Amino acid sequence: MEETGKPLGRVEALLEAERCLYCFDAPCEKVCPANVPIPEFIHSIKTNNLQGAREIIEVAHPLIETCGRLCPEESFCQSACARVKIDSPIKIRELHRYVTDNTEPSRNLIIPVRNKGRVAIVGGGPAGLSCARELGRLGFETVIFEKKELGGIPMQQVSNVRFPEEIGKREVRFVNDNFVTEVKDKKIQSVKDIGNGFDAIFIATGLQGELDLDVKGTNLKGIYNASELLKLARASIKTPVGRRVGVIGGGNVAVEVATVLKQENSERDVELVYRRSLKELKAFKDEIDEAVNVGVTMQFLAIPVEIKGTDSVTGIVVRRSRLSKPDASGRRNFEEISDSDFFIPFDTIVIAIGQKLADYFPEIEKTERGLIKIDDNLMTSQRGVFAGGDIVRGASTIVESVADGKKAASSISNFSNGGENV
Amino acid sequence: MYKEKDISIDFLGIHLDSPFVLSASPVTDEMEMAYNGLKEGWAGVILKTTSIEENVVNLKNPMMSSFGSMSEKVVGLGNIDLISKYHINDIEERVRYLKKEFPSKMIAASIMGAKKGDWQSLVLRLKKAGTDLIECSFSCPQGSMGEEVGKMLAQSIEATEKVTTWVKEAADKIPILIKITPQVTDIVEVARAVKRGGADGITASNTIPSLLGIDINTFEPYPTLFGVSSYSGLSGYAIKPITLRTIAEIAKNVDIVISGNGGAFSWQDAVEFMALGASNVQFCTLPMHYGFRTIRDLKSGLAHYLEEMGFDNPLDIVGKALDKIKANEDLPELLARSEIDTEKCIGCGLCYVACRDGGHMAIQWESEKRKPSVDEDKCTGCSMCMQVCPVDAIKMREKLDDSIHYFIEKR
Repeated sequence: MEETGKPLGRVEALLEAERCLYCFDAPCEKVCPANVPIPEFIHSIKTNNLQGAREIIEVAHPLIETCGRLCPEESFCQSACARVKIDSPIKIRELHRYVTDNTEPSRNLIIPVRNKGRVAIVGGGPAGLSCARELGRLGFETVIFEKKELGGIPMQQVSNVRFPEEIGKREVRFVNDNFVTEVKDKKIQSVKDIGNGFDAIFIATGLQGELDLDVKGTNLKGIYNASELLKLARASIKTPVGRRVGVIGGGNVAVEVATVLKQENSERDVELVYRRSLKELKAFKDEIDEAVNVGVTMQFLAIPVEIKGTDSVTGIVVRRSRLSKPDASGRRNFEEISDSDFFIPFDTIVIAIGQKLADYFPEIEKTERGLIKIDDNLMTSQRGVFAGGDIVRGASTIVESVADGKKAASSISNFSNGGENV
Repeated sequence: MYKEKDISIDFLGIHLDSPFVLSASPVTDEMEMAYNGLKEGWAGVILKTTSIEENVVNLKNPMMSSFGSMSEKVVGLGNIDLISKYHINDIEERVRYLKKEFPSKMIAASIMGAKKGDWQSLVLRLKKAGTDLIECSFSCPQGSMGEEVGKMLAQSIEATEKVTTWVKEAADKIPILIKITPQVTDIVEVARAVKRGGADGITASNTIPSLLGIDINTFEPYPTLFGVSSYSGLSGYAIKPITLRTIAEIAKNVDIVISGNGGAFSWQDAVEFMALGASNVQFCTLPMHYGFRTIRDLKSGLAHYLEEMGFDNPLDIVGKALDKIKANEDLPELLARSEIDTEKCIGCGLCYVACRDGGHMAIQWESEKRKPSVDEDKCTGCSMCMQVCPVDAIKMREKLDDSIHYFIEKR
């Protein structure tokens, strides 16, 4: 299938780049978790210096192909663009992608001698890879422990249409070939499993497995987890879902899987079932737009009560909810309305209510939510052990994981200069 | 639906229904184009420069090239064009025809000759055809006929005066305009020579010798004719400031009627030309780019402006700005300071960085609030900050004795 999101052509890109004010101390750059010097690279687009633009982004951001496609710009750089005060924000991500699409990774990389120390990185997703890249630049040997393919969520849970396989692989390969000493296929559940010989450890495992829907009927045939379907879709294998699909959830993954299933077969009805309303949907605007465009329908204010069926799924009973008081973040909660149950017929139910925490690293202090607790330098309760990405933040964005990876590398370098071993 | 304001003027005894005429250029090179331009509402045409039948004109194409950004592609337009390939016999006929079709419009022609006989025969033939006015090109950037290769007639004071005399002698009562180049050491001397030669007016000014660019991969100059090129005449918005100065210098020093030409792109530009002493304004690159339809906004914009300013006639503007142009040493020494309107400010920081690296390091920057502020002790009032502000939030507060004056540049 064609990749979604029309890339900017040269004329469009130059017109858009010319709109950039080239702010000093730019607000877009400041809110970018990876601190990409946005006005600088846009200026280089204007002067037709695309390779220079790529280098500017690449120095700040180890996963530029990924973020050029998947960064929710409206949450970061674009939200701060000063141009908004005149007309509309600069399409920063599209310009970013214009650069990466039209250039190759630089052949003039300086790879420093790796004599500063040896660091173990648990997890080869965006946080782990970014940490490895930064540590490689700083002269450290890095060993990544990863049971699956390198790349993490973008490589496993984003549809091929939004993020083509070969582009992700090329990017991961570039980081791996140039900055990673070794990748070990070993399951790590505690600091002990890592073994000796490391000056520091960075834990970036992300979240593990999917949360289960706590209702009756989840043992019926025709019930799937979002991640397993997304994996099939990424591998271009036909999914086993039926003609009338209910997707339970209200996050990026729910929206993504609904879109993918609808795109796979436009004859199929795909309906998102969510407890709150469109406004509370925790997905990025362009993903929601995409879902609506392909024809995904949405059932809001509906709480799953029971999945019905004898052998296979025949539908779901949901209870009407209403929005109640907002929480601390301003996001509104919901409450049930009694005697409001109704039935929606489905032959397939997809569960996409989020990922759960694995009970790993028992020796490390956790937060109330069960996430790994860290200090300002991303160091955990154990000296020399750092953590970042979803395992400390909960489900978050790629660019925030990238930022954690960068920050951890710098903390590890400072820590290691102190001459301590784990 | 609306009453039209009369914006007609008298130009060298010719009635123009507006001050806006099409210049001797590609826009008047075809009979049908000149016709269409007049039909669309232009007050007159000066047909593209013609010559005697024996003169061979070898036009080279592609002849156009331009520079600018993607959003403003043609800031300046360059051409390696020459005079018209149509000779005087064609032009005589066109003048007759257009005059018949448009008796109330100005039908003029432009000429170039190599020797006295050419110039005078061109004038006599046009006069006989009924032309309202004759413009003489002393300034084609590709060089004038009969001169040294590449040299323009108007770059020589003696030649300018001599040829003007020949032309005027033949023209008698027909008004003569001499079109000059700004590419001279002293434009006033040239204008004086035109005046001494007896011309009725001066067209200030022609395109400017230039080179539009080089392809940095092939090192081929623009416009590229199989890898090579020649210098271009530059026109368009880019040359407006040069024309403004040329007009002002002539108007301040020589008592001669001026037809403004070169870089006017709107009625506002035309008003500026006139405020410095031009009695009418010629257009070429604007209609070349956007078509003859542009006359409508020129006329309507000027009419509304006159109404708003309380002027009866466009000629009331002529020279209004002239006495405000002084020699640098005669300018007042005042206290100027930058004043930032924090309500308008969008916090881009451009004034800060421009002042820090290109001014006098007099603007402070509060990063958290994204707020610039002026250190009045350091500020010299240079106004660089005002130039870069994208939302016109900066003006210059000027103090002289006890009075305050503001310098605000409007876009």
